[in-house]
Amino acid sequence: MATVQPFLTGNGDQRQTLVVVFLRGGADGLNMVAPLQDDGYYQARPRIAIKAAEAVKLDGFYGLNPILRPLEKAWKDGALAIVHAAGSEDETRSHFEAQDLMEHGGLAAGGWLGRFLRSRANNVSGALSAVAVGRALPESLRGAPSATVMESFRDFALGGNSRRLAGPLENLYARFDSPLGRAARDTLAALDRIEKLRHTAYQPAHGAEYARDGFSQGLLQIARLIKARVGLEAASVDLGGWDSHLTQSRIMDPRMTELAAGLAAFYQDLGRDMDTVSVVVMTEFGRRVSENSAFGTDHGRGSVMFALGGGVKGGRVLGRWPTLKDEVLEGPGDLPVTTNYRDVLAPILQRHSPAANLRFVFPHHEFRPVPMFA
Amino acid sequence: MSLSRRQFIRVGGATAAVAAATGCGKMGNPLAGLLETPGGSFRAPQSAEIDDVAHVLNRLTFGAAPGEYQRVRALAKDARDAAWAFIEEQLQPEKIEDTACNRLLSRYPALQAPLAEFFEYKERRLLDEMVLATIVRATHSQRQLYERMVEFWTDHFNIDPSKGDCRWLKAWDDREVIRKFALGGAVARPSQPVLKGVWDFVMDTGGERPAPSFKFPALLRASALSPAMLWYLDGRVNRKSGADEKPNENYARELLELHTLGVHGGYTQKDVMEVARCLTGWTVRGKNKFGKATVEFKKHAHDDGEKLVLGVRIPAGLGEQDLDRVLEIVGLHPSTCRHLATKLCRRFISDTPQTETISAVAKAFGDSGGDIRATLRALLATDEFWASRGTKFKRPFHFVVSALRATDARGRIGPAVVQYLERMGHVPFHYPTPDGYPEEPQPWLGTLLWRWNFAVALAEGRLDKDGPRLDEKDLRERAGSEEALVAHLLGRQPTVEELQACRESGAGPSLCLASPAFQMC
Repeated sequence: MATVQPFLTGNGDQRQTLVVVFLRGGADGLNMVAPLQDDGYYQARPRIAIKAAEAVKLDGFYGLNPILRPLEKAWKDGALAIVHAAGSEDETRSHFEAQDLMEHGGLAAGGWLGRFLRSRANNVSGALSAVAVGRALPESLRGAPSATVMESFRDFALGGNSRRLAGPLENLYARFDSPLGRAARDTLAALDRIEKLRHTAYQPAHGAEYARDGFSQGLLQIARLIKARVGLEAASVDLGGWDSHLTQSRIMDPRMTELAAGLAAFYQDLGRDMDTVSVVVMTEFGRRVSENSAFGTDHGRGSVMFALGGGVKGGRVLGRWPTLKDEVLEGPGDLPVTTNYRDVLAPILQRHSPAANLRFVFPHHEFRPVPMFA
Repeated sequence: MSLSRRQFIRVGGATAAVAAATGCGKMGNPLAGLLETPGGSFRAPQSAEIDDVAHVLNRLTFGAAPGEYQRVRALAKDARDAAWAFIEEQLQPEKIEDTACNRLLSRYPALQAPLAEFFEYKERRLLDEMVLATIVRATHSQRQLYERMVEFWTDHFNIDPSKGDCRWLKAWDDREVIRKFALGGAVARPSQPVLKGVWDFVMDTGGERPAPSFKFPALLRASALSPAMLWYLDGRVNRKSGADEKPNENYARELLELHTLGVHGGYTQKDVMEVARCLTGWTVRGKNKFGKATVEFKKHAHDDGEKLVLGVRIPAGLGEQDLDRVLEIVGLHPSTCRHLATKLCRRFISDTPQTETISAVAKAFGDSGGDIRATLRALLATDEFWASRGTKFKRPFHFVVSALRATDARGRIGPAVVQYLERMGHVPFHYPTPDGYPEEPQPWLGTLLWRWNFAVALAEGRLDKDGPRLDEKDLRERAGSEEALVAHLLGRQPTVEELQACRESGAGPSLCLASPAFQMC
């Protein structure tokens, strides 16, 4: 009989992991989840719109870009929710400003994810409570109690002499029946587990297959950490390159392929574990409703957000559709933001940590939470 | 021991701050920081327990560098007297020569810019320079107690530079508020190149001059009017122009709760609102405005009615003087004395200091009008301070810097060191909320994995290509033996188990740095 694996430092009650996928560059929500029944869509995009016949039908109104078809299974399982016309209050349409404001959660110090991790009532974080896949820590994790930038598992292990160090350390810390001693024993257990991860080939479950690109491989590493129960509470992974000013399909199609394949593999691999793992996909802004002369789209406002797993009541496109009538569009002709991204995140954070103080995580925000779970 | 000013300046280079050498003779070797040659042999502590000298080095510095114990121990025959001689030396940082450290700081020129010029730099650059300069100073400065106090006030008046214009303005706050007042002033130098020379010349004369106040109330006022603080805690938008405009209470609340009285300091929500009213109208110009970063008082945005703060009436019509009235009321309030005393005791003595200890320190703080040096002297004179050796858990920054110092690790402090601090959640200037990084051990216990990793990386030279690296052979030779090296790293003679663990590990210095004893100070 399998023994229950203990959790690591301070995470004995921590069963939830939040994975934040940031699509950098301003991903065009209209080209991912198209309002097939809104005539304005085809009028504004005579050359680049998704043809209704090719789209993956979601409900009577919206259709998924066929490139995102790998997400259909999660949608049909009711594990994938979409929020349309979502975004932030930023009106600069500057990548930097918009990403910064979104990752900080407004004009606030530190990142929203960092503040969330600090805000939990039981503020004890393990060494691996927050991991960012990539080369740099995203601003959203700024100020986290512990945040690790990980390119591979090698980043976690002690150096060449780790094996010889672990034993003597165990002996020295064994004399301490204190929080420090317990923390040391937890840490040694973590090292042990990571060593095992490093030296065993990973076999994804349920026949899942991860693609070889960085995004899928990042999700694969996150999946391994989740399964190894090292106390991972938040993970962040970026997928860049969405700035589709010209020849939109040449820019977006490969990114959408990566996005859908990665999420689908992760979803399949984790199986039932997805009940306690939430994936949120967000971007700094959407794009102009009308295509430009170069078959592209320029910086806009509203886009889509995806929420996968974590008990979310999926199979629905949430958020108020503002329509694409001229008089509704904002500024130079942009999809207005009808749902603030915080109102998508807030209910998910609440579920992960019912005691979290959301006013601290998202200061100065008037909450109108999207009913993600109802 | 004499050295002409000309020699000093030549050795130190043009950018070095040359402080007075006078008065250093009896305190030690004024040349100590000037010599960059690899260190010579040194004597480690001989006692089985942490003695008085090792204790003050643990607590008042970021850890003893090789030779530091020996130097301080030689200051007097009796260990306690020697420790006090070191305390007195450290309490006058302006007299401690620090050229070698200042030379390293010339790598971070952006930090020397005048206020408005900060905006010409990319905010990332300013942040990187601030972080690196802070680590470099903690590691290499001879003014160790001063750096420890900089750390203390940085936490106390925490500003996370990721908010608004703080991206540019925190660098000024660090230089002109925190560092200027950290240990009763006198170390900061003007930033303009022309004035620097004049300042150096004046400082070097060592003449007695009536100094402007550098006591706590002056620090508090500087912080209240710091452009970065006005951004960080929304003071800039605290205004009352019309009847229905409500003041922004953010700064007022933190002023009372964190900076002065403390959360149980006896103020009410009404007091917070009244203080906020007093401070309406103070603002700072944004980076896109003419005269950016200028702090100004806008009379029309000030609520000029009568206020009642902590039972003290502030009459109507005082305008910008309301600020000074508020600071007079709270700056040396008995609750403030207690609050500051408690925080200092928790930083330098124990996580749970005794009531009598706090009272003694609070009294010194109040009696001296918030004199930081006098307060520290009183704190260090308590029995509890001397009895508390080896019982404080080092926060990650302290751990990392003490490891770099203890091993005399040579090489450039760069991104790899910062990344380790990130993993431990303790990069300077990265704490989001105004309460500053936590003092107590609990939130930091999850960082052991990265502490151990850091110890190994330091020994294996995996902290950047040209990053700091410890040279085990060199250290062992300088200490005289493996056992002496372990004694140096632990600040006392090792136990049988510790020595055995070192030998078994095959990586003695890493094991020492990773051991429970090195996590404590």
